[in-house]
Amino acid sequence: MLLNGVVLAVNYALIALGITLIFSIMNILNFAHGQMFMIGGFVVYYLYGLFGVNYFASLVAVVAVLGVIGWCFEKFFFQRMRKMATREENSMLLAVGTALLLENLALSFFGEKQRGVPPVVSGVFKIGDAFLPAGRLLVMVLALVLIVGLLLFVQYTKLGRALRALAQDREVTYLMGVNVDRIAALGFALGAALAGLAGGLLMTVFGINSGVGTVYSIKAFIMIMIGGAGIVPGAILGAVVLGFAEAIGYALLPGSITYLLIFVGLIVFLLFRPQGLMGKPWG
Amino acid sequence: MYFELRNISVRYDKVRALDDVSLVLERGEIVALIGANGAGKTSTLRAITGLARPTAGEIWFNGQRIDKLDPAAIVGLGISMVPEGRHVYPFMSVKDNLLMGAYLRKDKKGIEQDLQKSFARFPRLKERLRQQAGSLSGGEQQMVVISRALMARPQLILLDEPSLGLAPMVVRDIARAIVEINREEGISVILVEQNSRMALKISNRAYALETGRIALTGNSADLLNDDHIRKLYLGLARL
Ligand SMILES: Nc1ncnc2c1ncn2[C@@H]1O[C@H](COP(=O)(O)OP(=O)(O)O)[C@@H](O)[C@H]1O
Ligand SMILES: [Mg+2]
Repeated sequence: MLLNGVVLAVNYALIALGITLIFSIMNILNFAHGQMFMIGGFVVYYLYGLFGVNYFASLVAVVAVLGVIGWCFEKFFFQRMRKMATREENSMLLAVGTALLLENLALSFFGEKQRGVPPVVSGVFKIGDAFLPAGRLLVMVLALVLIVGLLLFVQYTKLGRALRALAQDREVTYLMGVNVDRIAALGFALGAALAGLAGGLLMTVFGINSGVGTVYSIKAFIMIMIGGAGIVPGAILGAVVLGFAEAIGYALLPGSITYLLIFVGLIVFLLFRPQGLMGKPWG
Repeated sequence: MYFELRNISVRYDKVRALDDVSLVLERGEIVALIGANGAGKTSTLRAITGLARPTAGEIWFNGQRIDKLDPAAIVGLGISMVPEGRHVYPFMSVKDNLLMGAYLRKDKKGIEQDLQKSFARFPRLKERLRQQAGSLSGGEQQMVVISRALMARPQLILLDEPSLGLAPMVVRDIARAIVEINREEGISVILVEQNSRMALKISNRAYALETGRIALTGNSADLLNDDHIRKLYLGLARL
């Protein structure tokens, strides 16, 4: 149960980091995040599950596909919107629109069926008196590696520095000579790729269907509400809280009660701490 | 002419921020741009750096017309701006702030040398190198943003009210640094100030803006002694 919590937590952290990246750089809540997760899952289903492509190569393809989707979203939708419109609600509506677009495209291309893939690795590890299937362990380790890689990239590379700069002060970043449009598109692509990777990882455990997008978008929102929007440690913390809450809830309670409790808990929590655990108070 | 604004106008929606503003600068000069709040000083600098598009007029730098270029290209030509209000990257270390200034540069050695130069100019930056810039004092933040702009190795630096909200002693340090940058590095300066006295003291020439128009211009030393200027611009000035 706790091990499942860890598996969920690290994968959710990928989701939360992706949406945090996009939010902090663009000030856009990426409503399509769950749909990007879902598409990542389907890329793996088709490449690895149907066509027998190597699993890791399939994950690389996930990055490419979602990277292109994210990049195009920013380039052709959000960037144009920012140049035309001045009101914040416009990009919000646009973000909802992109989610619906992806969801409907997925429904018509992928159908409604629940899809799964054969295990990537077989075997079971016994840790203490708990059992952890090797597949879950693999998913957990990969997610951890990706998280560490992302954090190192953002912290120690020149591009990563530019991403942080853009998140902290857009106008000054223009003055540094940064091609802001390009870096923004890169940030969106990276965030989308993270969502897709989480999908490509978790689908090997839970399978995937074209309806899960909204669920995962909501999970992403919950995590950043718990942690504090736009804050990297907050995203990770939110993921840990949600991952464990889910794992524990599903183990002890009948199915739908868990999320009911999570929502009630979230509302009560937000009443007392609307900025999230690590967020700064507004104003 | 090394640098020139020719009949520049800038508007924001319905507000006319600049109206037919012309200004020249010779290589190596410090030119002050003074005027009350809302006169159009910041808009002038934003037009130069490409952050605001002039609706009329031309801007020339080193024999090249630059008013249609984007901000990155203008930085690349050697014009850096220090915006109003000490915009450090608050959640970045001082070092990363400075490195952002060198974003367009590829010469690792030169960047390292310029870092050392910044520390020599402002020793406090070296002490605070790993600290988040948002946690520094106002004066220290001003040192960060000036050094960050210099990391681009500009030929012309635009400073927007660097003395705003700083204690008199710190203002003196900053003023001294500006003169030093100009004399030792040969960098030309456009200095925007509401602290007109300080600006006139360290500049060669000055322009006074009033509601988007150039109201008068002349040698700074003359303006400093001019009764009209005294009444209009120096009456309330600090220092
Ligand atoms: N982003 C903006 N939108 C609308 N009006 C603006 C904007 N920025 C400045 N203005 C207006 O343009 C005029 C000049 O402002 P500004 O250039 O900031 O003056 P200064 O820097 O001398 O205080 C003012 O009337 C100001 O209200
Ligand atoms: Mg101003």
